[in-house]
Amino acid sequence: MRLLVQKSDVGEFRRRYRWMVLSVLIAFLGLTARLAQLQIFERDIHRAQARRNIVGTVTLATTRGVIRDREGRVLAANRPSYDVYVVPEKLDLDETWPRLAQLMNLSAGEDAQYKEKIKKQTGKLSSQQILLKVDVAREVFAALKTHKDELPGVIATPSAVRYYPYGDLAGHLLGYMRETNQDDLARWEDRGYRPGDRLGAIGVEQRWEGYLKGQRGWQKQVMGRRAKKNIEQFEAKYLEDPRRLEPVPGRDLSLTIDIELERSIERAMRGQLAGAVVVVDVRTGRLLAALSKPGFDPNVISGSMGKEAIGDAFARLYKDPLKPLLDKTISAAYPPGSTYKPFSALAALDEQLITPKSEVDCRGGYEFGRRFFRCTGVHRQVNLYDAIVQSCNTYFYALGELIHIDRLSGIGMDFGFGVKTGIGVNPEARGRMPTRAWYARRYKGEGFRGGFTLLSAIGQGATTVTVLQLTLAYAALANGGTLYQPQVVRSIETSDGTVVQDFPPRVRKIIEIPSERLQLIRDALHGVVMDKKGTAHKEALDGVDMAGKTGTAQVSHVTPKGVDPQKVWYFNRDHAWFSGFAPAESPEIAIVVLIEHGGGGGKNAVPVAMRVVRDWQDLRGEHKAAEETSERRTREQQL
Amino acid sequence: MAHARRGLRVREQFDWPLLLSIFAVAIVGLVNLYSATSPYLEMGGKTSIADIYVTQVYWLVVGGLMAILVTLIDYRNFERLAYVAYGVGLFSLALVFFVASDVRGAARWIRLGSFAFQPSEFMKLGVILAVARFLSEDPKTEARSLVDLIPAAALLAVPSGLVMAQPDFGTSIILVLTVGCMLAMARIRVRSILTLVATVAGSAPILWQYVLRDYQKDRILSFINPEADLTGAGWHAFQSQTAIGNGGVWGSGFREGTQNQFGFLPDQFSDFPFAVFAEDWGFLGSFLLVCVYSFICIWAIRIASMAKDRFGAAVAIGVGAMIFWHTVFNLGMATGVLPVVGITLPLFSYGGSSVLTIMIGFGLLMNVSLRR
Repeated sequence: MRLLVQKSDVGEFRRRYRWMVLSVLIAFLGLTARLAQLQIFERDIHRAQARRNIVGTVTLATTRGVIRDREGRVLAANRPSYDVYVVPEKLDLDETWPRLAQLMNLSAGEDAQYKEKIKKQTGKLSSQQILLKVDVAREVFAALKTHKDELPGVIATPSAVRYYPYGDLAGHLLGYMRETNQDDLARWEDRGYRPGDRLGAIGVEQRWEGYLKGQRGWQKQVMGRRAKKNIEQFEAKYLEDPRRLEPVPGRDLSLTIDIELERSIERAMRGQLAGAVVVVDVRTGRLLAALSKPGFDPNVISGSMGKEAIGDAFARLYKDPLKPLLDKTISAAYPPGSTYKPFSALAALDEQLITPKSEVDCRGGYEFGRRFFRCTGVHRQVNLYDAIVQSCNTYFYALGELIHIDRLSGIGMDFGFGVKTGIGVNPEARGRMPTRAWYARRYKGEGFRGGFTLLSAIGQGATTVTVLQLTLAYAALANGGTLYQPQVVRSIETSDGTVVQDFPPRVRKIIEIPSERLQLIRDALHGVVMDKKGTAHKEALDGVDMAGKTGTAQVSHVTPKGVDPQKVWYFNRDHAWFSGFAPAESPEIAIVVLIEHGGGGGKNAVPVAMRVVRDWQDLRGEHKAAEETSERRTREQQL
Repeated sequence: MAHARRGLRVREQFDWPLLLSIFAVAIVGLVNLYSATSPYLEMGGKTSIADIYVTQVYWLVVGGLMAILVTLIDYRNFERLAYVAYGVGLFSLALVFFVASDVRGAARWIRLGSFAFQPSEFMKLGVILAVARFLSEDPKTEARSLVDLIPAAALLAVPSGLVMAQPDFGTSIILVLTVGCMLAMARIRVRSILTLVATVAGSAPILWQYVLRDYQKDRILSFINPEADLTGAGWHAFQSQTAIGNGGVWGSGFREGTQNQFGFLPDQFSDFPFAVFAEDWGFLGSFLLVCVYSFICIWAIRIASMAKDRFGAAVAIGVGAMIFWHTVFNLGMATGVLPVVGITLPLFSYGGSSVLTIMIGFGLLMNVSLRR
């Protein structure tokens, strides 16, 4: 067979072998060159990449600082919220779901609602975890963890949420937390915020964010399969120093406010729909309490009840015509009404336009030009004392005719009206002390009318003040003319209680007024409460030693937007005021009560102030007793 | 008499360099396989991946025995049986389409009891034998035209078409290139070569459009533009290059390469064992390994040049070309100069069919070498 086939010569192949050897050499030389490139010339690049593969950094969480009141009671802290997530794709609705519902004690309604929510997540969405319920009970969380293996597709994790134990008390002052948005992240790139972080939205939480938030730490880790054993050995080999940055917890804040006093104000204001109360220490300018009504529960809008609850709560808050989100103690200005009269009197006395003995005959009003300016009654012959005690408008109209409006506003500005107080939390309203120049700008071409001054003298017209400004001005009346910068934060502390920074009181201005003149005013203010004819006398409480001035400020009859016409009458009612200080003889606190659309100041605002001051006296007694006890103890221990 | 003479010659002219170099590659490959799978040892529990180097030992032993068997039988018997081997290979290749088990969407395996084998691997040998027989029987002495090459082309086209359809792009490329090398030994008209090149170039777009699967296109595209997709197809090549570079000049040390030990090398025991080796042993080790592979290839050419007939020469060139292209493609894809096409590194990659094929090929080489 083989013989039949003509075999070709092997020689035909010979001449190609050399070429083949050459090709092989070239190919392997090329590969060697590539190897040299990777392993010799680019070695460092690849080594760095290999290191990046196995070394990872984990974030170490920090905790936000705690906010306490002057007595050390916690106003804002952190607590774990146990949240339950599910991955629809991995969750068996027939097998796992009933077990989960049972462990979570879901009601039939919740059961159906959540199930519906899960079923909606189809397609790609079904592989992403969705939040089922936030803040389940600790026992439920523990149960879910215990039965983890029976619940595929269910994830229960704790997350830190801000917790305000006193709910809406002092909510405007404390503030609340909100999630960072794109703007925050862009603006504060260097502060280390990440999407999903929360930051203070208003009040102390916002203003002191930098101190409260603390700083995240990190730790380098060897990651990957083999790292599970001999971890130290690998860390020593592959991790560069520094390997860890400890997180820095946020600073704690001690506030000047007394939450029990705040609670007392809340109680006293229960009968009122809307208003604001501020109490300051006249000797330091420190804020003891500030309440703006209606308020909000910072717990809800900070997210402790889930994101949906935040949206719902805000929708409700924005719709409310009583403006619960507005801090009425700081961010809104109102006509002060008769509570401004002491300042008008001081201006006239200063100009020597009147003396304490000058009298005016009040016949129920005052004719000026072609207009008749009404008084609250017929007071007949009144001097300065009577005019303040009985709140006679006629006296002040007469005074207004004598005085230049710029003097009237000038003294107001001495007492801090028309300028920001510098409290530092929440946007401040300036209020308005109208001058001739202001009217000229405002009413172009019409010219200034004398009537403006008359209205200014009784705290009406274009004059507006904030509740905080008024409180500080009364504090200055009470303390002999020192205008303080209001303070909310007493000190900054580390988490172990060491004081990092203490804020002493800051005087803004010493108002130069002869002390006997101030005493004159204080006596008149005491008369408002003590004198039988005094506008606050009827509502005075036994044992409450207080001086002050009532006010009933007329409001412009403009219907606010979105208000039910049936309820417009309410918004046309006067604002009720009371401003004062206590104790009358050696004042310690100043208090201002504003009841929006509350009607007459004497009847409506005074009772609130009376009850708050009574409670304050009780609290002061308790504190003193407690301090004495502790002092005695220390002394005994030292002995 | 004749028997005794042959035995004598075998002892006198035994091909030690070939045996030693193949033996060296097998041992180093085995050790490297141990390193490649060692991360799984420490994972605790029994994982089959950690044990595959043991299985590889069995295959090497079986392969060695088959190599001895193949060496002992005079290769002229294989010449006679070439078309039979080719036919059996073709049959089992066709069988894949009916009884195959899927691996990543490609059907390449036939299961026989607990042993799964890849007919496409053995088919390489069948094609080499068949083409060698064709060349040996071709009486032409003048330069060949394309028409003369049609039988050889047909021998190649059928199996490579079937392999392509599995789909196994890598193996069909190996088939085409191996046969190409074998035919390159024969004289072919220059005009024919030019026509061939033009045809291949012209058919590339058609190949791209109608033959290649999406994942194959992805691999090629990511090779052309590696930055485009570091998470998908480019990822494997990227991590492999990182591993090789991480080895540096001296290497990280045995079982110390972090890319492998921490699980960043994909398919470290099948497609990328070289990355493991280069990371552990550095440029020094990988250069030595490249030298050994190139020695084997050049030695195969030497064996061909000393063969006593055309069949022996063609078989030697065929086996040498097969080893050459496997090595070049595997190292090429590990170092990022060629697209990732899933071609094994001879005796380094894990796999029974692959080991047996190389070992039988080695037996054939030895056979030709001993009977010159």
